[in-house]
Amino acid sequence: MPGWDDSPDRLYTVTRGRSRPPEHAFDLVTLIVTEQEPVAGMQSEHARILGLCATPTAVVEIAADLALPVSVVKILLGDLLETSRITARHPRFAPTKARLPDLDTLKQVLHGLQRL
Amino acid sequence: MRARTRPDRAVNNGRDSGTTLWSTAGVLAGLGAAVLAVASTAAAHRAAVAATAGVAAVLWCALVLLAAKLGGRALRAERELGTVQHDLTAVRAQAAALHTDLAATHNAAAALRAALASAQVEADRDRAELQAARVELTELQNETAALRGAAQNAAEERAELGRLQGEILPEVVTRLRAGASVDTALAPYRALGHARLLRTVAEEVGRGERQRAAALAVCATAAGRVQALATSMHAELRDMQHRHGEDVLGDLLSLDHSTAQVGRMADSIAVLTGARSGRRWTKPIPVESILRGALGRIGAYQRVRLHSASTAAVAGFAAEGVMHTLAELLDNAANFSAPPAEVHVYVEEVHSGLVITVEDGGLGLSESWLRKAEQAVSGKPLDLSTLSAGTRLGLAVVGSLARKHGLSISFRPSARGGTGVVVLIPEQLVTHPSPALARALVPEAPVERPAPAARPAIEPRRTEAERPAEPAGTENGLPQRRRGSTLPTTTLPAPAAQPVRPLSTASAARFGAFRKALQQGPTTTDALPEDDS
Repeated sequence: MPGWDDSPDRLYTVTRGRSRPPEHAFDLVTLIVTEQEPVAGMQSEHARILGLCATPTAVVEIAADLALPVSVVKILLGDLLETSRITARHPRFAPTKARLPDLDTLKQVLHGLQRL
Repeated sequence: MRARTRPDRAVNNGRDSGTTLWSTAGVLAGLGAAVLAVASTAAAHRAAVAATAGVAAVLWCALVLLAAKLGGRALRAERELGTVQHDLTAVRAQAAALHTDLAATHNAAAALRAALASAQVEADRDRAELQAARVELTELQNETAALRGAAQNAAEERAELGRLQGEILPEVVTRLRAGASVDTALAPYRALGHARLLRTVAEEVGRGERQRAAALAVCATAAGRVQALATSMHAELRDMQHRHGEDVLGDLLSLDHSTAQVGRMADSIAVLTGARSGRRWTKPIPVESILRGALGRIGAYQRVRLHSASTAAVAGFAAEGVMHTLAELLDNAANFSAPPAEVHVYVEEVHSGLVITVEDGGLGLSESWLRKAEQAVSGKPLDLSTLSAGTRLGLAVVGSLARKHGLSISFRPSARGGTGVVVLIPEQLVTHPSPALARALVPEAPVERPAPAARPAIEPRRTEAERPAEPAGTENGLPQRRRGSTLPTTTLPAPAAQPVRPLSTASAARFGAFRKALQQGPTTTDALPEDDS
């Protein structure tokens, strides 16, 4: 994708050499919410995540917005979670009134839509 | 002789008188005997006896007188004979003396002759010697003249040589170094005495120069190819890192890291050979990216800690050079610190630009090393011949880049115990984002969304020569490779040509995200719509 190599940052410098996200902390749809304001001197990706997640945002969306692979975003989120700058909420456990239908229903809907 | 005979005559006179005496006595005796005979004879016979005695006496007397006369004559003759004998003896003596004289004279003459001969020989020899000496003198004179001429020639030649080595050779070599051909470089000095020497030297220098240039060109070309390969590998790796899941991410990152180090090596060779350095960035690069870009090119990047709150950016044309400089300095710092020790990088915005300090936790460096390092990075033109196999190339590269971009670099002992390197990036190369954009980069209000990520969130305050990055593609829709970017980057298909962020409703966005979540496959984030809520 154009733009991906437009920056001299290599991903291992963004993750400071880590390639494994913290296990079980996030999946693609985990909603991230900012708990603390970004501070000066923070890694720019961290600051941008904190800016982005002022409203709850899914991990994939953050990845898209930052143009970074999801694994990398998960590592960055792990840093923020460790310092309690964000909280992670899994949508299925989100205390919303309109709970999402179960997975099978949604799959069927998806297939139906794709057949259209 | 007559004087000698005189006494002889006197003797002869004495003898004559004796003869006379004897003759007188004889006469007298005769007479007496006659008288006696007469007297004694008888008177009868007396008359006869007296007559006979008288005749006998007369005969006697005559005999005596004759005898006396003969005796006298004999005496005289004897005297004369004596005289003659005496004379003869004298003459003989004289003759002998004369003989002796003659012999002596002969001897003397012979001696004289011999002496003469020897003198003649000697004279001849002397003459010959004189001749030889004259010849020698002539030769010496000739030689002296020749020597004088030679000395003059030598002086002239020395002067000429002095000029040759003092002015002409350096001038010719300078021209040759500047790329002139041998004939062109020698054109003004054709008439010179040492034209052949000059030509030989010039040809040698020219050949060396051509070889040097060829070697440099080969190195530069090779480095350029490696650079291009590294850049395209970077693009492909980045693509793979996005396409594949976290199972292979670690491996991809490690490959990426190796590629970055290969790229730095190629960049170093390119810098040392005078070729252009790696990529060219078409937009200002934020300091954080500059630091991380530098970090990513060294082996021990995990021991480096960045401390930067700066929102400044470095102009695109200088970004690569600054990154490369910092990479070499960071590599040095990391190499000088034993593995657990960390290298700290501080950024400070100052009036005259941007100060980046690299501090290592090594043992500190000796004064002489510091001086050497300062000299290496002092920005003097790089002399490749000072690089030996043992020299660290890093500082030479840093020096070269510092000269090119006007960076000033100094070394000092660090407060942490190691060495601190201070890099001042001059103000002309530094851009600052406007306050609003700075806020976007480091948001202060969480309600504000940052600018779209595909674009850098900062813009240079000054708009010199830097065009913002545009999507690759010309009016006729054909992809066009931009300088400094790779073809894989620009030729990646479809989504590039489409509007970057299609407008979509919030529900559609959520649905898209959900669908992705369900698929759980390799994550491709390319068509993710934006959540506008």
